[in-house]
Amino acid sequence: MRVLVTGANGFLGQRVVAALLARGHEVRALIRPATCVEELGWPAAVEIFRADLRSTPDLEPAFDGVDVLVHLAAGMMARDDLQFAVTVTGTERLLGAMARGRCRRLVLASSFSVYDWSAIRGTLDESSPLEPAPDLYERDGYAIAKSWQERITRRFAEQHGWDLTVLRPGWIWGRGHSHLAALGRRAGRLEFVIGPFTRIPTTHVDNCADLFALAATDPRAQGQTFNVVDGEGERIWSFLGAHLRGSGERHIRIPVPYELAFALVRFAYSTLFQRSTRLPHLLIPCRFEARLKPLRYTNRRARELLGWQPPLNALECRARTYGTLAQPV
Amino acid sequence: MRAALIGAGQIARSHLACLRALPGVEIVGVCDLSSAVAESTAERFGIPTWYTDHRAMLQAVRPDVVHVTTPPTSHFRLGMDSLEAGAHVIVEKPATSTFEELDVMSRRAKELGRVLVEDHNMTWNKAPREILRRIESGEFGEVTHVDAMLCLDILGPEGFADPNSRHPALALAGGAIADFLPHLASLAYVFVGKHRQAHTVWKKRKDSILPYDEFRAVVDAERGTATLGFSASSQPDAFWLRVYGERMQATANLYETRLTFDGPQPGPRAFRSLINGLAEGRAVSAAAAGTFVRKFRNGPQTYQGMFEIIARTYRALTDGSPLPVPIEQVLEVNRLGAALKPCAERA
Repeated sequence: MRVLVTGANGFLGQRVVAALLARGHEVRALIRPATCVEELGWPAAVEIFRADLRSTPDLEPAFDGVDVLVHLAAGMMARDDLQFAVTVTGTERLLGAMARGRCRRLVLASSFSVYDWSAIRGTLDESSPLEPAPDLYERDGYAIAKSWQERITRRFAEQHGWDLTVLRPGWIWGRGHSHLAALGRRAGRLEFVIGPFTRIPTTHVDNCADLFALAATDPRAQGQTFNVVDGEGERIWSFLGAHLRGSGERHIRIPVPYELAFALVRFAYSTLFQRSTRLPHLLIPCRFEARLKPLRYTNRRARELLGWQPPLNALECRARTYGTLAQPV
Repeated sequence: MRAALIGAGQIARSHLACLRALPGVEIVGVCDLSSAVAESTAERFGIPTWYTDHRAMLQAVRPDVVHVTTPPTSHFRLGMDSLEAGAHVIVEKPATSTFEELDVMSRRAKELGRVLVEDHNMTWNKAPREILRRIESGEFGEVTHVDAMLCLDILGPEGFADPNSRHPALALAGGAIADFLPHLASLAYVFVGKHRQAHTVWKKRKDSILPYDEFRAVVDAERGTATLGFSASSQPDAFWLRVYGERMQATANLYETRLTFDGPQPGPRAFRSLINGLAEGRAVSAAAAGTFVRKFRNGPQTYQGMFEIIARTYRALTDGSPLPVPIEQVLEVNRLGAALKPCAERA
């Protein structure tokens, strides 16, 4: 099976390419024109298609002979409008090209950021509500862009009768990406940990990539949405502790109760800061919740429908992230 | 007044934020080539209709005013279509790619009895307005010289110098810097008037896809002289404006709220520099705090001049008061803009 992977040179993309190759698939990697391919260390079997989703005039040839699209590309810029342009306008152009070709199957990398974190209680799963408008526009640019990316992808799929699988990864971590946004707020050598016992929806990049490779080719995934987490979520305190030990950083963890921090943020937001949306993310209540709200997570649906188990356990994830254990190509 | 927008990118959000706060203005439609951008903008700002074809929008919603906020090379076509549809036009800078296009568009606006306003937003920021107020009151004295220097890192991968996706402004003569020339030219115009001649230096200092990243100009104008500059390498980002008068000198950073004056003080002449220095210190400290607080507040930020221009344009269209940017200013600023372009491309 030939798979077109966008965002193939990204943190997740590189591991998805490796996972697809490991399953014996042919991979066409869509990467931007200025990307240095040699640094990626890909085998010659990986076919390179250079394009920028925002501007390359003709994206149709990228789909020649392709059976499945795995769409991972998304903007990670500081500016909201650029993030939207890369993530959403790029997707619009890519799927427009797909509609003119023969490929009828795609897997979209969505995100936990599309959920309405303020409304969810208990366990966040695939049936949890999505962030509605106009509240969506108080969220950060990434959440807005990913929500719209999923929205237009579903429309394209419905309009053209495509088989769509949406995967919503939690916090993806791995070598070089282990200090997640949910962890401590750093001040010198101190790490203030808001809600130390809160669980965070982590998925190691290799586990996440494995589910993408499986979903791309398993017919049971068609028409489904899956949250991608390795389990019910590790507590921030222990995850950060492992990170500090693994990375050799000698920081001191200071616990801050979640409810106290959230009450202060809500009070300051509505009084002192006059509901400004230009504040740092953690000072805006809905963005605070989207990063730190204490919820539970599950990968039950992926386990039950696809028989998926994360291939790496917690110890193996840490060894691959902090140890000398090499990542397989 | 019924307003519509063509182009729903970054700058459009500031136009919409301003329009939403204006009494008597209804935003009736928004258009963008990307349906997702158009639809999300409509949803975000509560606009009832969105389009991907500007002609369809003009025909369907019949706006009184169209804001053209697309990349500059499309301004002429979209502005002309909007005028032909009977709308007044507020166009982002630069108004057109060439002066000839602007000449055609301004003539057509005049024939149709419509208004054409270019967003010279820096000239309506608080600092230039305060300096102009002091000039008009006579306190400042006659202006002899103005110096406007814009230091802005446009070499980063997220903007004009993105090697993966060519920025539309690179289609302008002079490349990305040409996108900022109207700021410099409009400041020169409001302080020293129509230009007579201009000498320019265009340079490329860093390796990037930009054709130029440094620009300097010396301008002789009817009421004084101007030096204008753009540096992509000088940091931190700042927009320095210095105005030299016969009785006073003013310094402002238009990216912040800083504005200081150095002028005559009562008392012995020996104390002038001390008194002015202390006053400047107080003003700079207050401006630093003001700028810091402003960063975290909703509001126009560095686009305060744009908000003023839009509000005053709608007021002018309603009650006949003077336009904030009259067409004579638009034409003269663009005439200077054309004279500032690199020689080969100007030819």
